[in-house]
Amino acid sequence: MTSLLRFPGGRLVGHAAFVIIIWFLIMRLNDSVDPLANYYIALVAMYATAMFGMVILVGLSGQVSLGNGALMAVGGYVFAVTSLHWQTVPILGVPWNGWWSMAFAAVGGIVVGLLIGGIAARLRGPYLAGLTLGLAVGVPAIANRFPELLGGESGLMITVPYPDGGYAPVEEEVFVDGTVEGQSGDASSVAVPSAEATVSPDDMLTLDNFPAADASAAAPSVDASVSPDDMLTLDNFPAADASAAAPSVDASSGDLGATDLSGAGDLIDAGFIIERWQAGLAITVACIAAFIALNLVRGRQGRVWRAVRDDSIAAAVSGISPAKAKVSAFAVSSLFAALAGAVFAQILSYVGPGAFGLGLSLSLLVGVVLGGRSSLLGAVIGGLLLVWLPEFVLSLAERGGWEDQITNNAPNLIYGLLVVLVVLLAPGGIVGSVQLLISKVTRRAPKGV
Amino acid sequence: MTSFIDYLIGGVSNGAVIALMAIALVLIWRATRVVNFAQVGQAMFTTFVALTVQTVTGSWVLALAVAMVAGAILGVIVQFLVLRPMRRADTSGAIIATFGVLIALQAAVGMIWGGDAQAYPQPFDNAGIVAFGRIWPISVYDLVVIGVTILLVVALSLLFTRTSIGLAMRASAFNPEVARLSGVRVSRVLTFGWALAGVVGAVAGVLVAPSSTVSPTTFDILLVFAFTAAVIGGLDSLVGAVALGVFAGLVISLVSGLSNSGNAPVVALILLALSLITKPDGVFGHHKARAV
Amino acid sequence: MLSITDLTVSYGPVEALNGVTISVPRGEITAVIGANGAGKSTLMRTLAGLVTPTAGQATLDGEVITRKSPEDIVRMGVALVPEGRSTIPELTVEENLRLGGLWRAKSDRRAAQAEVFDLFPVLAERQRMRADTLSGGERQQLAIGRALMSNPKCLLLDEPSLGLAPLIVTQILHLVRRLADETRIAVLLVEQNAVTALRMADTGVVLNLGRIVQTGPASEIASDEKLRHAYLGY
Repeated sequence: MTSLLRFPGGRLVGHAAFVIIIWFLIMRLNDSVDPLANYYIALVAMYATAMFGMVILVGLSGQVSLGNGALMAVGGYVFAVTSLHWQTVPILGVPWNGWWSMAFAAVGGIVVGLLIGGIAARLRGPYLAGLTLGLAVGVPAIANRFPELLGGESGLMITVPYPDGGYAPVEEEVFVDGTVEGQSGDASSVAVPSAEATVSPDDMLTLDNFPAADASAAAPSVDASVSPDDMLTLDNFPAADASAAAPSVDASSGDLGATDLSGAGDLIDAGFIIERWQAGLAITVACIAAFIALNLVRGRQGRVWRAVRDDSIAAAVSGISPAKAKVSAFAVSSLFAALAGAVFAQILSYVGPGAFGLGLSLSLLVGVVLGGRSSLLGAVIGGLLLVWLPEFVLSLAERGGWEDQITNNAPNLIYGLLVVLVVLLAPGGIVGSVQLLISKVTRRAPKGV
Repeated sequence: MTSFIDYLIGGVSNGAVIALMAIALVLIWRATRVVNFAQVGQAMFTTFVALTVQTVTGSWVLALAVAMVAGAILGVIVQFLVLRPMRRADTSGAIIATFGVLIALQAAVGMIWGGDAQAYPQPFDNAGIVAFGRIWPISVYDLVVIGVTILLVVALSLLFTRTSIGLAMRASAFNPEVARLSGVRVSRVLTFGWALAGVVGAVAGVLVAPSSTVSPTTFDILLVFAFTAAVIGGLDSLVGAVALGVFAGLVISLVSGLSNSGNAPVVALILLALSLITKPDGVFGHHKARAV
Repeated sequence: MLSITDLTVSYGPVEALNGVTISVPRGEITAVIGANGAGKSTLMRTLAGLVTPTAGQATLDGEVITRKSPEDIVRMGVALVPEGRSTIPELTVEENLRLGGLWRAKSDRRAAQAEVFDLFPVLAERQRMRADTLSGGERQQLAIGRALMSNPKCLLLDEPSLGLAPLIVTQILHLVRRLADETRIAVLLVEQNAVTALRMADTGVVLNLGRIVQTGPASEIASDEKLRHAYLGY
């Protein structure tokens, strides 16, 4: 069996088959759960995508980065701006759809990654951590510098494109009811909200002001995502609102031309469910990232990264360029971060400095350290942990009648303490510890990755 | 032109606070080759302690003193529980652990005092001083901030050059093995260094608090500024930390004054990136990096 | 007197020292010689408390010094001058010396410093200069001076000749000889440079792969051709 996979490219085929099977299974799971679960799946997949990059950067190449939240911001903003302003793709002239924005977000991620990686490759541990810390705080602040284009402090609402099947701009009529000034009267233009569509936080608190309020059930996800800048807790996410979103498909079905409900009480199968679609997108992106990451990590490039991490002088002597290895790790992780950022923007229907702040960067670090710094599986487990723990704490808090002040901060307190404990006692995180346990039981040396 | 100079003068007290936080980072870096990213978390915690003391007693001086003691204790706790048990080889781990402490401390602050921004009472006159027929862009409070900073810097330099513990600290930083062979109890000296850094950070927190509000994450940006100053200064150099800290304060004040304060983080990032590109070991750093 | 009994040190499965027994009487120089990797440095680092032995012990005037921290061992009267440049280049000469006696009372420290300056006058001249401005020989004197600041009963010298010109080595070893004669200090000297070391020492100990192969008066060891060919490679 193993010998079958040994022919050149065999590993590629093996990885592809593996990822496709996983993709298929998760998509099936995604189709069979309610929208709240879809929403959680989307978040886990989004986190996993970004953290695949963290595994490569922090775990394999040994560069501790706090800036991956900022790199996600690059992806998110590229997605938002291109989807808000483009009706056709520049130069190519073809009609725009969401995939183009994803592609541009990816390119943007790689370019920024190369740029930062070029600087970072020269730096030792704490200098690099400090630089990326500067990124985490400084990049989101760039939005303030260009309020016209990037929406400033209040960010940009994006109302992309979720008709069934295609990934194209929203149909005109959906927006006719929109209350955004300057939009409703202009029926001839394709109703992609332009810069005027930026809504101040106050406006966003009520659903009525949201341009696509009646178009997508994702609308509720906006209000909570806007204000606080602390993304470590999911309380900022509309857990409750998202669950309420399912009924709202029913309630607003009059406005949704597409939903000819066949009278069945089964809401989940009735028509287009935005959370499910988003989760499908997130899963697909995560699987593509996983495929790329698997091939890199388990191939020659993975050995190069580990060699540079363990002893860059020895690596250089054996003909490996440490600088190149470090830059490439940055570029790959930046690509994944940008893709995750673009997905995140769509899950939130929003981009803003708060959503991509230091908190997001820190949560990526937390997830990858807890899951297992140098394991791709660890990234997925880390993603699950980031989504599950706040919900778990919330359920405890409800049962125990905790004060909000305690409940809101408990997840971060746990994360912080866990990170310290993991670093001190089990540097391999959950995956590393399990591997160690297995190898102890079977009395074999632990294998890498 | 007047406004340019005004912004510069107004930036000095800002810079003083950044310099103090940078000193706290440098103190620990020199001793343990760890950048304590949790420093602002510790400072935030002690600033809330000070706020509580000041609210209860109304005394700014008492609040400052309590914060300093709390800063020392917190520094010792962090060093003892987190950094001391760390394997020396795991540099990534040390960095990650300090961020773990930062996250936990910010959450703890949020739990105890709430996540909302709170005003810190202004202990001195904060209006511009009127003298020589004009209003100067500097207040009594600014002068207190600058004065306390100078006092602390002088005290620190005396400590390092004139006292036994100062010599022990420098020796332990430069070559821990030779220090141990000379009979210096290096681990105690390191703990003292963490306490000292905690005190300096606590003072920075209490000094900066009245000019902004305090919330668990308010000081994040201060960390970036302080780190920038410390790095450009060479991380090893107290003189560099002070000089570049004040310089960073001036630049931030200028940028904030001439455009808007939201741009300050971007400027810090640009400064940091430029300095790391041109001089990865800092302006005041050693001519060559010591192999660690 | 320093007595080392059956000292064994293992790094994992590798035994760096195996049942080493040496006595170093006061006022005498005992030279441990052997090729690279014979375990000489391990012996010194173990005696100074930087390495924990797996078996055996060492005593100074009857007091056990093994398995104690380096800080405590210095206070008990055993001072190590480690291999290479064991001064702190960023500190001044005076600070390097002060460091050596930091734990002692100020008056004791003053007295010790006067003795060191007496022994190494060049250090008195360069008091205020940074250690990295000194020459190699001066720096070795400073390193020995720093160790003497703790007023040791036993001085451990690890490869003092490393990287120094032969003339300077002879000078420094002469000073060590004078030190042993005048202060009745016990000196354990580890050297790869066997000829010079044996000429200055009272007793010679030949170490090979962690074991003692020969102990005897230094002059006898120096003239034993078989020994020289087998273990010392000259």
